[in-house]
Amino acid sequence: MTEALATTGFSREAVIALSRRKGEPEWMLQKRLEAWEIYEQTPAPLGRRGDLGTLQRLARFHFQELRPYLPADGDGALPASIEEGLRDALVGAAERSGLVLQRNSSVVRVELSEELKSRGVILTDLDTAVREHGDLVQRYFMTQAVPLATDKYTALHAAFWSGGIFLYIPSGVEIEEPILAQIWLDAPAAAAFAHTLIIADELSSARYVEEYASAFEGEQPSLLSAVVEVFTKNGARIEYTSLQDLGRNVWSVMHKNSIHEADSSVSWVMADLGSRLTFSNIGSNLIGNGSATELVGVFFSDQDQRFVIKSLSNHVGLSTNAETLVHGALADESRVEFDGMIRVQPGAQQTASFLSEHNLLLSKHCRAEAIPGLEIGANEVSASHGATTGQVDEEQLFYLMARGLPKDEAERIIVQGFFEPVLQRITLDSLRSRLRRNIVRRMRGGHESEADWIEAQERWEIEGVDEGAVSFDRPSSEEEEIRLLPE
Amino acid sequence: MASELVIKNLHASIEGKPILRGVDLVVRQGEVHALMGPNGSGKSTLANVIMGNPKYEVTDGEIWFKGENILEYSPDRRARMGLFLAFQYPMAIPGVSVANFLRRALEAVREGPRPIGEENPSGRPAPRKTIPPSEFRNLLREKMKLLKVDNSFINRSINDGFSGGEKKRAEILQMALLEPEIAMMDETDSGLDIDALKIVSDSVNALRGPKLGLLVITHYQRILNYIVPDFVHVMFDGRIVRSGGKELALELEERGYEWLRPEGSEVAVND
Repeated sequence: MTEALATTGFSREAVIALSRRKGEPEWMLQKRLEAWEIYEQTPAPLGRRGDLGTLQRLARFHFQELRPYLPADGDGALPASIEEGLRDALVGAAERSGLVLQRNSSVVRVELSEELKSRGVILTDLDTAVREHGDLVQRYFMTQAVPLATDKYTALHAAFWSGGIFLYIPSGVEIEEPILAQIWLDAPAAAAFAHTLIIADELSSARYVEEYASAFEGEQPSLLSAVVEVFTKNGARIEYTSLQDLGRNVWSVMHKNSIHEADSSVSWVMADLGSRLTFSNIGSNLIGNGSATELVGVFFSDQDQRFVIKSLSNHVGLSTNAETLVHGALADESRVEFDGMIRVQPGAQQTASFLSEHNLLLSKHCRAEAIPGLEIGANEVSASHGATTGQVDEEQLFYLMARGLPKDEAERIIVQGFFEPVLQRITLDSLRSRLRRNIVRRMRGGHESEADWIEAQERWEIEGVDEGAVSFDRPSSEEEEIRLLPE
Repeated sequence: MASELVIKNLHASIEGKPILRGVDLVVRQGEVHALMGPNGSGKSTLANVIMGNPKYEVTDGEIWFKGENILEYSPDRRARMGLFLAFQYPMAIPGVSVANFLRRALEAVREGPRPIGEENPSGRPAPRKTIPPSEFRNLLREKMKLLKVDNSFINRSINDGFSGGEKKRAEILQMALLEPEIAMMDETDSGLDIDALKIVSDSVNALRGPKLGLLVITHYQRILNYIVPDFVHVMFDGRIVRSGGKELALELEERGYEWLRPEGSEVAVND
């Protein structure tokens, strides 16, 4: 039996071996087997006729050449690349209240502040949660937010998930400092399944930051399958931020969904920069009256990268709100499909839902397709959607160049300006500057040093944020100036 | 020695359609030239071609500035040499703050043109002289006062949501900040009410002096009551058909443009 797990390829035997090895309760084994059954019977999603063909390409990926389970070595030491990645995390050790680190198939580190532990917050790997909080996991794991039969890939995920993160926030507990999760893939021909289950009880709140990264060389691709399920009880608030910066030898499939009770909110911030191909699904189910969601998305694709991003704002309750704002730039031969749906269910009166998606094409060979959709089953609804795809404006370019800026810098400034409205919506400073850096790095050419420019940008941002530093309204004393502008 | 902008027999077209048909003009530092003419005569095209707008194709002629033929130069190189164009329709660039942009522009212009052949160092970053924010701020504050520009201007995106008058004042503010040697004002007066026109004219007059040569492009004589030119040129059908002193502007005010129409010229179309 364990042999099936050690060889490449997914199989029913491997499912059983995995569950046995983890010593799981019978219900989880049965769930895995049910999922496996569905995986075997379900065709892969192939997209629409005439789309950019990315889902078809994903369907042809050699899943059977992957190793389904790669547990971490026993001694718990991390390779230097992961240690380094952890040091450069979006949320530093001093700023976070918790940490989960998953390496391939295993969670290798879990930390939670004593204070939060004492207040009843649970942060653990999902295996432990299955043992210690089986009732909660049984109720919420791939049942409502991302049901295991959502598509072929979620079925595979449910059959082979390993590692995983479980976060429970008790009623009324508000977690100010973010909890950080890093998911690492550091082996070729491996499949890693990252599952995140967040349950925010009534009137609780938390900020959760997830980073997907990889550290291995070579052409032989690996797969990251991520499922994120968020449950917000009455009045709970979750801010979920993710940065996908996987290597170009990683393919990824992501499904993220929230289930809202009344007056609860989820704010999704999602940045996609890496991977060879990413199929990303993000949704919010606004079931409770007065619930709200926001999705702020940023992507930048180049070379032969392919992204498919699907968003869904599903309005069920009364008086729910959703706003989706996605900006992305495409370079080289990359292809991006965006499919943004607003669905207003019958009876979902007083819905307000907005969606806008903008693509900037930086080469003649990249292709973007944006399809905003709107299904309205109620009559008191305020909803709008829009998508644009365009190129860097020649007249804008000339204007900046006529002021002395070289062409590449002018282009870069216009691209930065294009992203700025979404970047301004990102509350996590470190992510904002990471994205800025990435955008600058990807814009080719360079008369000036990249560091120079970023330094200037960030200096300006700091000054811009501090009203005293740029306000001409009130004269500031010299001392104030020195304080604001240390030079 | 005063810098000179010398236009010789300049021909230019857009999408194969000729607009400039042999323009000759010399503007020196310290002089103020008015360029007048009916709509579609090629005034704006001339300014754009001098600045290097790639939309236009120069089919014949030369543009010399400070002793160099700048025809092959990029717009940024021309700007760094000391040329400036106050745009008729300044572009809005969302998401880019005025402060950020202007400081970069000032740094670029102060740095001047790089030696020929070193404009594109292969991936090697060139050192850049930055202007300390405090110094820049003081400079900008001074120019903003001059142009009575609203204080919030600095944190806004370039020309984004600016009113017509604000855009024009912002252009002149840039001119004041960047201290060009030869500046072209492309219909800066259009769309300005009388108060804004006075503010703009006062600031331009304050900049006048031996270091600035000006080419004021206008459809109407009105702005020339405030910015009194040394020379007036009239453009028709892509050529300068008449040049004279400031009295020529007054004559045009009285008589219109028709009497200067060259023989065989069609009624002008918009450019």
